Amino acid sequence: MNRVLTLAVFNIRVLLGERMWFVLSWALFGLQLAIFGSLMSRLVVGTVEDYFFFYSIGLIVIIVFESGADLGRHFVEHAREGELPYFLALPISRKGLFAANAIYGATNTVIRVLPPLAVTLAVLGRFSVQGIIFALIALFLLGLGISGIMISMSFIAFKSVDIYIALVAGLSALLIRFSTVFYPLIFMPKIYEPVAYLTPLTYGADLTRWLLGFNPQFLLNPTLALAVVIAVAVGTIFLSVTIMEKLIEGVKAA
Amino acid sequence: MSQFSRIFQIARTDFSYFFRTKWLMAILISLNLSDMLVTGLVYKRLVIPTPGLPATFDYFSFLVPGIVTMGLFTAATDTGRRIWLALREGVVQYYLTLPVRTSGLVVAYIVSGGLGGVVYSLSLLLVAFVVLPPQGIVNALILLPFLFVLAMGIAGLAALLASLSRQGEVYWAYAQALQVSMVTISTIFYPSETITRFLPGVVASIAEANPLSLATRALRESAFGTSPLSSSLLVELFVTSLPLAVLGAVAYWVILRTIRIRGKP
Repeated sequence: MNRVLTLAVFNIRVLLGERMWFVLSWALFGLQLAIFGSLMSRLVVGTVEDYFFFYSIGLIVIIVFESGADLGRHFVEHAREGELPYFLALPISRKGLFAANAIYGATNTVIRVLPPLAVTLAVLGRFSVQGIIFALIALFLLGLGISGIMISMSFIAFKSVDIYIALVAGLSALLIRFSTVFYPLIFMPKIYEPVAYLTPLTYGADLTRWLLGFNPQFLLNPTLALAVVIAVAVGTIFLSVTIMEKLIEGVKAA
Repeated sequence: MSQFSRIFQIARTDFSYFFRTKWLMAILISLNLSDMLVTGLVYKRLVIPTPGLPATFDYFSFLVPGIVTMGLFTAATDTGRRIWLALREGVVQYYLTLPVRTSGLVVAYIVSGGLGGVVYSLSLLLVAFVVLPPQGIVNALILLPFLFVLAMGIAGLAALLASLSRQGEVYWAYAQALQVSMVTISTIFYPSETITRFLPGVVASIAEANPLSLATRALRESAFGTSPLSSSLLVELFVTSLPLAVLGAVAYWVILRTIRIRGKP
């Protein structure tokens, strides 16, 4: 346990050294919210009440998504740069290595998400400690699921990094655009609806909005959303652990 | 071999490298097409004409030309990534041994960035013409050289950022900040009337003077709309884009010259 924590703390220290990325992420969040969010909320007036709030939670979900994807990239980069064999040589089990990565990912998500979430809710007059706690739990579960998907796909990178990057990038764009991150499901053309149900971001975004008190008329059933978010997190964690246990050996550095 | 043909060869190699980068193409195509065919269609249902907008306002028709400009922007910005990689991995030292002037190397990169942007956006324009009937194909063709200058300007801006990024992954921070700010403070996603009505005047002025807004406006009015091409708009587009190309070229030239003299940036 101590070794797992030592490794996690080491990774988190490296993460905290990259303050510029956090500041940039928060600044861009503020810019998008202040300009895109406020203008689009004027354009959709009459169709979705309080679109500004709807959009702000969508942007928070994007940060969670990027943070989850970051963990996958971090893992692949370790493999590419030859650091993975070093980590594998440490006196720590594969599950321990996974746990250390998961702690790093969770910390990354909380640091990136908490300040913009708290400030946004305070500005919108919707701040409550329990709202923040429940929203963070939902976002954390979503982040775990996203990290799991990215780590599960990383075995592709062991064959070809280019194909992995292309797949992740293409998939990311589609997961976001086809989800309810920026628009409620009821406004999606019928042809896109089935795809929207396939992306975990739909469930994560709607669950978070429901927890923060958004009009449920525009959201998915929260029980279904919670069940899917938990299922994705557990399922992809299981897959990631299997990859850590079985496929990680013999990865070649670039 | 003349200087010109050497510059041409370097530009051609860089241009072909851009289109052969599979992951980059996957990012660009999936982003732009999903923006056009998913985001555009969903927002079309969400956005209804509000006071200050024409009663026939259709958000999909409004957004599609903007997505073409966005495609041009992201493709041209990749010049910065290629320059940054060359600087970081020392490939630039090899470039400097080539029998070509430093200024020739700079021109080759900026021109290749411009070409990458305009060729990629042309492919998006063709898709756009399928989903949105064109009203002025000739106007779109006349616009191409101006879009090329715009793409060179953006490539120049990306080159400037790459030249300023001396350490680690800092380039990506600059590139992300550039992309979000230039696209967000523009009229790609919202009409200028809406910006003027709801945001401070200075933001509206920046958005209107943004070359991405000017290019989008020209496409909206003359390629997808029935208005003739406005010569003043073309002049504005040229005047706002060219200095960016020059600025980037000078920054990249200074960096290359420093490397030539001192052996490092």
